[in-house]
Amino acid sequence: MTRSRTAFVLAAGATGTLLALGASPALADNHTATVSVLHGVPETRVDVYADGERLIDDFQPGTLTDPLQLPAGEYDIALYPADAPDASGDPIVSETVDVTADANATVVAHLTPEGQPALTPFVNDTSAVPAGQARLSVRHVAAAPAVDVRVGGEVVIDGLTNPNEESLTVPAGTVTADVVLAGTDTVAIGPADLTLPEGATTAVYAWGSQEAGYELAVQTIPGADSAPSGVPGGTAGLVDDEGVPAPLVALSLAGLAAAGIAARRLATSRS
Amino acid sequence: MRPAAAGVVLGLAVAIGTPVTWQLTREPEAAGAPVEQALPEASPAPPSPGSPTPQASASPGWLPEVAVRDAAPTATPERPEPTWLTVTSLGIDAPLDPVGVAADGQMLLPEDVSRVGWYRFGPAPGEEGSAVLAGHVDDRDQGLGALAALREVEPGSQVVVTDEAGTQTRWRVVSRELIHKQVLPLDRIFSEEGAPRLVLVTCGGPFLAEYGSYRDNVVVVAQPLP
Repeated sequence: MTRSRTAFVLAAGATGTLLALGASPALADNHTATVSVLHGVPETRVDVYADGERLIDDFQPGTLTDPLQLPAGEYDIALYPADAPDASGDPIVSETVDVTADANATVVAHLTPEGQPALTPFVNDTSAVPAGQARLSVRHVAAAPAVDVRVGGEVVIDGLTNPNEESLTVPAGTVTADVVLAGTDTVAIGPADLTLPEGATTAVYAWGSQEAGYELAVQTIPGADSAPSGVPGGTAGLVDDEGVPAPLVALSLAGLAAAGIAARRLATSRS
Repeated sequence: MRPAAAGVVLGLAVAIGTPVTWQLTREPEAAGAPVEQALPEASPAPPSPGSPTPQASASPGWLPEVAVRDAAPTATPERPEPTWLTVTSLGIDAPLDPVGVAADGQMLLPEDVSRVGWYRFGPAPGEEGSAVLAGHVDDRDQGLGALAALREVEPGSQVVVTDEAGTQTRWRVVSRELIHKQVLPLDRIFSEEGAPRLVLVTCGGPFLAEYGSYRDNVVVVAQPLP
């Protein structure tokens, strides 16, 4: 499984403001998308610009924005050093990101396997999971080769490479997870306790570099919940609603019998 | 009138009067507002997750203001769990167990019918959305369950839920209804959105011996008391 590219199209190196968006994005009504930004480039504070305007000031590695509601459209996203006065110089990295209406995505600033800065959008899967379950999406955005992900010592994802993701649905709760170099027991990150809330997608990012160290970042994306399929509730029939209770039936029958006996007497006495 | 004639009349009166009186005096199948009305409509597509982001206010451009937080894994703070349910007017005084989902996808209920389950994947009583408490109405071996009397609850009755910290939430019943299990509005009953409400569920209606279960659920909706 690789990350979905359905909602996002990347075109490297594009620059220049898109007039359509700059003109009146406020009129984009509800054609908006939900976009979060995660900073996974170690040891580099940055400013994030969207279409030449500063979106995030002094963005620290290992931090995540709250979900932003952005009008759908193309955005030129660029990272500049945090001390850059504006977006006039050379960016650290820039990409054009096509934000599709109603999409839910996280744009990640990270390192390639070779250690070069990159911007990668991941689509967040918010489709429903069964009641009691949680979705775990692991995203490899570290300057590292392929990794395996272990939960409770068992490999649940193997051979995950940068910049890809793999998702699985697991019972909600807290799990202990670590990341090892693919096919080995060499622990790269963890073990760490991860809380996987029910009815939500938990995106876990493996980020960093050999020099700066590897870490996990966690993002919870709600909205995947579903209700149980029913409520059971009784096996004995003690409060059965159907029909008259047996003692009352007996009473009624007794009344009928009494009437019958009396009627017979009435008939006999008349004859 | 001769005694025999009186006997006929009396006998027939008992024979007919008993079932009629029973029918007239039993609790109607519903009381108060319909459950569907008392529960807010479940939105087909949940709104964008997370708190709504304030749109550009102080910032010079059109971009929204951005809140940033640390993404390192953290332990989720424990919330106080509800531990006790009291409905004085029905004599219900039962301990609550946090429960989840059974293998068949249904809400899991405590085996012990004297205990009531709180659906721990949903809101706790008082949080936004529906807090669901449910229990077996009866059991072949254990007899009647804690919620057996729920079928009789009257709108206006008070319900109290106590959590492990000793904090009480108080509720007023607004709706009681027998609903066929096949058409139970599960998405509404378990909705995590909207104003806080308490939903009590057990079984009721005709007992279907061939399935060993009841046809209906008794659903009671209560709203917070100030």
